[in-house]
Amino acid sequence: MNAATFLLALLGVCVLQGAAGERLSVAGIQPDLFLILAVGAGLGAAPEAAAVMGFLAGCYQDTLSGGPLGLRAFTLTLMAFAAARLGREMEASRPAAQFAVLLGGAALAGAITLLTLSFFFGPPPLLHTLVRVLLPETLLTAALGTALMAAARAWRIARRVAP
Amino acid sequence: MTAALLRLIARHRRGAVLASALLAAFLGLTLQARQDVAAVTFAKRALLMTVAPFIKATAWVGGGARAVWRGYVDLRGVQADNRRLRAALHEMRQRLEGLHEMAQENRRLHALLELPDVDGGRPVAARVIGKDATNWFRTLLIDRGGGAGIERNAPVLAPQGVVGRVVEVVPIAARVQLVTDPVSSVSGLLQRTRVTGIVTGDRGPTLRLRYLPLMADVAVGDRVVTSGMGGVFPKGVPLGTVTGVERKSGALFQEAVLEPAVDLSKLEEVLVLAGPPAR
Repeated sequence: MNAATFLLALLGVCVLQGAAGERLSVAGIQPDLFLILAVGAGLGAAPEAAAVMGFLAGCYQDTLSGGPLGLRAFTLTLMAFAAARLGREMEASRPAAQFAVLLGGAALAGAITLLTLSFFFGPPPLLHTLVRVLLPETLLTAALGTALMAAARAWRIARRVAP
Repeated sequence: MTAALLRLIARHRRGAVLASALLAAFLGLTLQARQDVAAVTFAKRALLMTVAPFIKATAWVGGGARAVWRGYVDLRGVQADNRRLRAALHEMRQRLEGLHEMAQENRRLHALLELPDVDGGRPVAARVIGKDATNWFRTLLIDRGGGAGIERNAPVLAPQGVVGRVVEVVPIAARVQLVTDPVSSVSGLLQRTRVTGIVTGDRGPTLRLRYLPLMADVAVGDRVVTSGMGGVFPKGVPLGTVTGVERKSGALFQEAVLEPAVDLSKLEEVLVLAGPPAR
């Protein structure tokens, strides 16, 4: 993903999550489109470019949320960098494996956010946060991320087959 | 010396970029941990300004697209022989629908203007154009900002009661921290017994009334209103209704669980009290 495509995708995610996030939500919990973008962009990029893309995506997510600037930027920088290290292996793997990796990634991203939040602003109620935020968000994000990866793969195959 | 340093950074470019990004995020968080810093606030406002027009435009286009879709659905059953009559009927129906929508909006806005005891400033009606981009916080984006005279900490209300307060302002939009946000706190008053406490968010759809004395008389069904203390919200605006009381053994205070007076998931318009906060 080149810089222009990434910036366009970032703008799209900002608009989608900001203006239509509620419509994508299940039981009040919305999928984390910024995480999906950071991981998706990171998969096909060099690790240093992925870190910058993750940082930018995180900064915009912080801007569109009530959280402090840097909270999600910190998390998404790490996640995009990790995705770049995983690279093409994940793109080529089966959907079940992709779901498992995304599930682990989303859970890890949630845990990093929780730890960062606790470190700087005091610990939020753990059980409450796990049950009401982290777990449902992880499941939803991983499911949507896997579906989007499958769609992207199908799109690439269709383009290759087309004359 | 500098050349050697640059060579070293170039050799470890990956690590250097990652470390710089993490350090920038960490620095931003450190600066905001105790108080707002002008540079961070400026950066956040600048980033918001780059996307707010697009979100505002999308909300506007979305409203138009919904109207067009409704029109398309209405048109699906049109037959050739009575096309003219149906078209006329359709036009009338659309007009009626538009009038109905306008009447509903008018009722909502009218109700906003009839809020009790709103003496905190000049009321500014605003539309909700976006929700929080994470599940960790509870905020809204509204389509009026500094250009309409809205300032930071301005109270935000709905006909049923308190919505929250403005935490960030750019000329064309503002971010509202809802009363259900985990870091929100509003001084509340039990209407029946006049006992005061602090109403905070609960990381869910409910609120909590904290720091109530153990001997305080609190019962399910009690209404909680703003106490007027703190200088942000006018006194007497509904916050919620008590749905449960918790008294933990050994605790110094009791807590009450509240159902918010306003259904925050279905907000379309809000009223912001611009100008000086209520005293």
